[in-house]
Amino acid sequence: MRRRMSGLVVATSVCLAVLATNVFAADVTVKFMNWWGGERVDMMNEVITNFNKEHPEIIVENLVQPWDNREEVAATAIASSEPPSLIMVPRVETYKFAYEGLILPITDYVKASGIDPDEMFYAGEINNQRWDGELYSFPLPTAGGITGQYLYNTDLLTQAGFDQENLPKTWQDMEKVAEAVTMADKLGIDILGADVGTTGEAFVSWLYTNNGKMVSDDAKTLLFNSPEGVETLEWMVNFTNTYNGGVENVREFWEGVRDTNADWPYYTDRVAMWFTNVSAFGHLKTHDADMWNDTSKWGVALRPYNGNNPNAASHGISGLSFAWGYVIPKNQPKEVLDAAYTFLQFLGTNESGGCQFLFVQGRPSPVKTCNENSAYYEANPYWEEVMASLDSDVSIPVTPVQSQINDILNAAVDEVFFGVKTSKEALDEAAAKSQKILDEFWAK
Amino acid sequence: MAQRIAALVGPGTSRPRRLPSKFNRRYWIGYLFIAPWLVSLLWFDIIPFIANLYLSLTDYSVGLKIPDWVGLQNYATLFTEDDIFFKSLYNTTYYLVFSVPFRLAAALGIALLINTKVRGRGFFRTVFYIPSVVPIVATAVIFAGIFHSRYGVLNHLLILVGLDPIRWLSNPQWIKPSIIIMSVWGFGAQMVIFLAGLQAISGELYEAADIDGASGVHKLFKITLPLITPSVFFNLIIGIIQGFQVFTQAYVMIGTNGGALQSGLFYVVYLYNNAFRYFKMGYASAMAFVLFLIILCFTVVVNYTSKHWIYYQD
Repeated sequence: MRRRMSGLVVATSVCLAVLATNVFAADVTVKFMNWWGGERVDMMNEVITNFNKEHPEIIVENLVQPWDNREEVAATAIASSEPPSLIMVPRVETYKFAYEGLILPITDYVKASGIDPDEMFYAGEINNQRWDGELYSFPLPTAGGITGQYLYNTDLLTQAGFDQENLPKTWQDMEKVAEAVTMADKLGIDILGADVGTTGEAFVSWLYTNNGKMVSDDAKTLLFNSPEGVETLEWMVNFTNTYNGGVENVREFWEGVRDTNADWPYYTDRVAMWFTNVSAFGHLKTHDADMWNDTSKWGVALRPYNGNNPNAASHGISGLSFAWGYVIPKNQPKEVLDAAYTFLQFLGTNESGGCQFLFVQGRPSPVKTCNENSAYYEANPYWEEVMASLDSDVSIPVTPVQSQINDILNAAVDEVFFGVKTSKEALDEAAAKSQKILDEFWAK
Repeated sequence: MAQRIAALVGPGTSRPRRLPSKFNRRYWIGYLFIAPWLVSLLWFDIIPFIANLYLSLTDYSVGLKIPDWVGLQNYATLFTEDDIFFKSLYNTTYYLVFSVPFRLAAALGIALLINTKVRGRGFFRTVFYIPSVVPIVATAVIFAGIFHSRYGVLNHLLILVGLDPIRWLSNPQWIKPSIIIMSVWGFGAQMVIFLAGLQAISGELYEAADIDGASGVHKLFKITLPLITPSVFFNLIIGIIQGFQVFTQAYVMIGTNGGALQSGLFYVVYLYNNAFRYFKMGYASAMAFVLFLIILCFTVVVNYTSKHWIYYQD
């Protein structure tokens, strides 16, 4: 009897030990909250499948969110007691959450993994994911490639005397295109030569092509109300009023349509110069395959600069908006944090991860070696121009209060477009208001 | 007192009976039935309200750490330094002043028509009610198309009658009217309330008026409208509350920056910006409390004046 009992105890102990081992070896689920909707859902699922081949013990749930109320969803998710394991956020929000101590720095993970992020990524790209000396994410997609290029319609450009060998390079060239191509009637613009944009971000994009700057390199002093800034805004307003019939006309032209729809004006040959970011390649390929496949009909060129300013050059800006990263909320069990980083590392650095995800969209990767893949030249016929655009990008230093500054600048630009204030008045006032916010932030 | 006790105790009883308690079984059952509502009131209304009030007195940003106490600083900033606060309040009041009366008038007008004995009354009720159950986001997307300057049906109608097209969503003077027009479309819920009120009016009053030779107009102004005032009162209060909380239509059609010259930047949109784009949750909480006080004031005023213009059949 006693022997039977001893045997039973031993057997039970062995079973419990095996069970405990299995508990620790159980699958871990990574809830990946992101906004890669549309045709990118399947692409991301493929990346997750590739990841699972290497890490079958980690289950990644692809939680794609609708774009509406994005900021609210992200903020409440991160601040909740059960946040997602990994969440896609733009740079400004990464900085904010890092500042509030809500997200995990991955610096130590990266060191332990042996990756040298400064060697692997473009400097501007990886530095966008650093705050206060700590790294919080790997970038995906590029923060650059947002404003440094435009897509053109060859047939429409020829009306202004330009062609693929001789493309518009300066502000003054753009004026010729707008004058020759833009057609409007009582209902508004029908064919658009070029649109300089009417927002604060458009203003900053053009500012850097006029040898201007938005903010000092230490992110402490705003500089957008410089003489170059005033000149840039005045040019934008004059361009819009002279060639596009005013700000209302040009805003109405873009209303109610998206570049993810087949009736987007560029796909229907109604825009000569379309200032857009590198996501346009994937959308063009999806929604107007005929145009994508006929490179005589369209092309890519660098953002025009002010030909009247000898110090001006073509530049894009990066990091002011988007500059997406993937942050890990702190409030999670250790095994989930580890698993989330493992997936993040795969997504951000692996050829079968982020590289593939961007490659199939024809857009560049923040990882240098990915862009050297010769297959890119086959996937995107204008790959050289895309690389040149990335090279031209200037990373703008931002702070967690950038959203407020962007809104103040946007309102100021609006006042100039509607004739409420002059460029100098509006920019000076906006700079003063924004500087106060910035000073209060740095004083904390 | 002694007599009462004696009556309760009864003759020849050695031990007095217990006095009846208010919390007898009947009361407990009643509280049990309303317990779910009480719990939800506490959890979804009272506790968040108190939490909001507390947070409005702090510099709470985002996250779970305890924020610093700033007292009335948020309120002081709101009223002395924030010009966008006043702009958003102006935009919202403008919207309220026009959308509420127009919506009430449309709802009452259609309710009066539907209340007549016409064929297909049920069909018309359904048709006019449907817009109020369509999600606001879908409605906003539809109206964005209607207001489009080139392809929108409104501008084509204007051209048909010889008027110039309007930049509905890009002209600062027309952004608020566009949102107001859109809001009037969803009058279905108010229409149903008015219908119920109309059907509660005693037919005898109309019969008596007919005997006295009253015309339709007389009956409308002397019987129908006075006796429908309780429904007007209810719809007015609800309309004011909803008007001050206008958000989704502006968010979808115009965006968080409020459109041209911020003319579509309504109060709750600005509150949203402070909360979720600037992460100034404490400041946004102060804005929410101010909104509560404003709505409360309006409600109290309307309620106070109601004794002068509301008539009940009894």
